Amino acid sequence: MSFLIKTKKKLSRFLKVFFRKRRARIGIYGPPNAGKTTLANRIVRDWTGDAMGPVSEIPHETRRARRKENITITGMNGNSVDIDIVDTPGVTTKIDYKEFMEYGLEKDEAVKRAREATEGVAEAMHWLREDIDGVIYMLDSTLDPFLQVNIMMVGIIESRKLPVIIVANKIDLPDASPGRIKSAFPQHPVVPISSLEGSNVEQLYEQMADYFG
Amino acid sequence: MPHKCTKCGREFEDGSTEILKGCPSCGGKKFLYVRPDERHQDVLEEKSISQIAEETKQEVLEVAPPLAGSGTEVHKRVESIRIVGPGSYELNLEKMAETGEVVIGIGKEGKYAVDIVSMVKPVKKPKKKTKGKKKEKGKGKG
Repeated sequence: MSFLIKTKKKLSRFLKVFFRKRRARIGIYGPPNAGKTTLANRIVRDWTGDAMGPVSEIPHETRRARRKENITITGMNGNSVDIDIVDTPGVTTKIDYKEFMEYGLEKDEAVKRAREATEGVAEAMHWLREDIDGVIYMLDSTLDPFLQVNIMMVGIIESRKLPVIIVANKIDLPDASPGRIKSAFPQHPVVPISSLEGSNVEQLYEQMADYFG
Repeated sequence: MPHKCTKCGREFEDGSTEILKGCPSCGGKKFLYVRPDERHQDVLEEKSISQIAEETKQEVLEVAPPLAGSGTEVHKRVESIRIVGPGSYELNLEKMAETGEVVIGIGKEGKYAVDIVSMVKPVKKPKKKTKGKKKEKGKGKG
């Protein structure tokens, strides 16, 4: 069995030299605090051993898009896909500095964070417009998925005809309900995971190798 | 072995020190062991509404009315970003997804700043022999 897989890998590598395809650029999108950077860190660590960026419980910790190139993800059945991962700032329709002050930030700092977060959303949307081949849309499965911003973003991604995998994150928390997300987006594959603990990420890798390959 | 709170069902990794003070979610003090391969099984196997409807052969009834008029109707606006005040912004994602042209709304209503530079497409170096698209003209004020 492993012989077959090895041969398949060798063959695909051989063919790639001739038919050089641009690596698929996969953007991790979603509302703030869904766990995008935590997932990006896990993917990058699992497949390259590096890290992507810092995480925090204050929303909009990631305010610049970060890219990690040339990650090869292999599913259990030997399917593999070469991708670039783009971790994007959380996308939202409203940013108010007062929200950050509730997390204990000083006013000046909160206003600065709000300004950078706004630039971050613009940057995330720029990437989506120009340079993304597939999307992992990340949702917090303890929250209501039927928010205007989620419906709008999934609609935008659909209208650009980009393949999308919806990730129902935070299944380690007691209020988690990935079924609610499956009900909300029946037209797309939904993978429940805990990116913090790493539960069920294998299924996500499997899905990525199938879907983006 | 991992633990599970008997009160709210939250699961904790093996050797988690959080549970020494009780469950951080519900304050529960009783925990049971869960086999590592059975962790989060109840959550992972949760069924969606369509699956339940299929199994029980009942129709899906939607009780809640569709969300209408909740929040601001940002998609009908001309601006891509509205600055409500210092550090407070409203973003029009649909406009931002469509184009990089930036129109900024200032204050509550009626005031706009138009970034003309963002409306001119950068001149690309002609890699292929095909002609580039014509420059789009910038829209006026809304």
